[in-house]
Amino acid sequence: MSQINYRTINIDALDPESSANFPMESLLPATLPQAASASDAANAATQVRQMLRGGDPEGALRTVLDTAPLGGDDRAKEVHLATVIDVLQGIRQGEMTRILEGVCSGDGGAERADCLMKYLYVKLLCFGFQERNCLMEVRGFDCLSIDYRYKGMSSAAPGSGTQTPKKPVSPQDTGFSQIQARNLGEGGGGQQMSVLLSWHERLVEIAGTGSIVRVMTDRRTV
Amino acid sequence: MAAPQVHHLFHAPIADHSFSSDKKTLAVARENNVELYQQSGNKFALSDELKGHEKTVTSVDIAPNSGRIVTCSQDRNAYVWEQSPTGWKPTLVLLRINRAATFVRWSPSEQKFAVGSGARVIAVCYFEEENDWWISKHLKKPIRSTITTLAWHPNSVLLAAGSTDSHARVFSSFIKGIDTRPEPSAWGERLPFNTICGEYLNDTAGWIQGVAFSPSGNALAFTGHDSSVTVVYPSAPEQPPRAMLNIATRLLPLNSLIWNGETEIIAAGHDCEPFRFRGDENGWQLAGSLENKAGEARGAREESALNMFRQMDLKGQAQADTKLKSTHQNTVHTIRAHEEANGVVSSFSTSGVDGRVVIWTA
Repeated sequence: MSQINYRTINIDALDPESSANFPMESLLPATLPQAASASDAANAATQVRQMLRGGDPEGALRTVLDTAPLGGDDRAKEVHLATVIDVLQGIRQGEMTRILEGVCSGDGGAERADCLMKYLYVKLLCFGFQERNCLMEVRGFDCLSIDYRYKGMSSAAPGSGTQTPKKPVSPQDTGFSQIQARNLGEGGGGQQMSVLLSWHERLVEIAGTGSIVRVMTDRRTV
Repeated sequence: MAAPQVHHLFHAPIADHSFSSDKKTLAVARENNVELYQQSGNKFALSDELKGHEKTVTSVDIAPNSGRIVTCSQDRNAYVWEQSPTGWKPTLVLLRINRAATFVRWSPSEQKFAVGSGARVIAVCYFEEENDWWISKHLKKPIRSTITTLAWHPNSVLLAAGSTDSHARVFSSFIKGIDTRPEPSAWGERLPFNTICGEYLNDTAGWIQGVAFSPSGNALAFTGHDSSVTVVYPSAPEQPPRAMLNIATRLLPLNSLIWNGETEIIAAGHDCEPFRFRGDENGWQLAGSLENKAGEARGAREESALNMFRQMDLKGQAQADTKLKSTHQNTVHTIRAHEEANGVVSSFSTSGVDGRVVIWTA
């Protein structure tokens, strides 16, 4: 018993009254849809990609946001995130505003806007981790691995765990290094980031800052 | 619409403000004290200070009929202040809480008041004649986090509370010997202490910052950190509500709200200006800001060339753009009905982080 280092015991975990033990599931509304599986997400992806190829980007974006697996498991969310990003990249700059206006109007338009905002922030968060060379796991899956798989640079099986990023690692991981930031700007990641940022800009024009605030409060994550 | 009456009291945040029933006295929570201002002409001048709390005062409320002032603070205490010939005399309230007191409001009957706290309880306080002190009973049960805001039903028994666990709840605070048995309503028929008459969570969650009952008491509105306002119409005791309407706005979060009649809500918050919402059971919409936008031109006054070059020399810019176009220059914390008759508000007051108290025409 003398081996236990009492200073490293997390006493909050042992205290039922502690805020560390706040039941997060109590923040999920009763209207949460049934958990979707990864195969549901894959089916939705096929349908959406068909619409995108068929020249209906507005319908594709609308469908992909309406079928978001809010109650799904992590795999389903991961697959759906890739589909959303595909759709967003498949739409030209000049068409963004027109399509957004169509998608964010009508019945359930506000929910779709909030949902799209969530996807933008989840993806931008992944870039944030990537930039810091940080192999942190977000929501149980590795951002780096999905990003690399997405760009076809890795043939690893989905969710196979961590991967070493193929870029120079700075000797100190102190955070903000100018060189790294520049590398990112030249690479494919930077281009994808700029697409997402221009979507973000246009979405804020339509849905306002309230939508950003709701990304932070809403526990129905995507 | 008349221009809002602005009283810039000081350069410090105002946690809460309250007017006396004759609107001549204004109590303002400033740091560890409560300052009392008296109206003289169309200005408010500092007349007295209520000193006693050891930490930031979080809330203050003046009872309209008795004139008693209740304050609560982060030092975990609440005081009831009564006017005596020698000045304001505090009476300590036995709150029995081990975290900061966050919010206090008198019940409409003025026999009780409720104190919200970080200890995950609401202390409902009433006066006990025999011992000559204010004692409290705790509303505890499903509260999972800090209580941030409270509102009384007109019957003085039902109490709405908003919490950082993202739920707005309606409790019964019935105390034997103090309250008369309330009329049965959609909220409940038999209402022993700590009955939960409603527990509401909207889809986007978010900490609840403001709650309010409609003038009839038959609807509840709450707003939170998700920039939305939710209105609940209860159907019958222990039944799901008849309607629960959520208005997700494109604004920054709203902190506080009041009803104006049964079909209008006025709310203000981080956008520094009050907004009007209109609707009924079939739907609610944001109707717009109450800020007089025609006044915007006032801010842009003609600059002399000398002044322009001086600014460029000193600050590297021709015009210092540091003033917001709204009347409040920072977040609004509290909005209260100022003058009302039969639930219809003719004017209301707001206070916030910028040290201003503003009286608006509704």
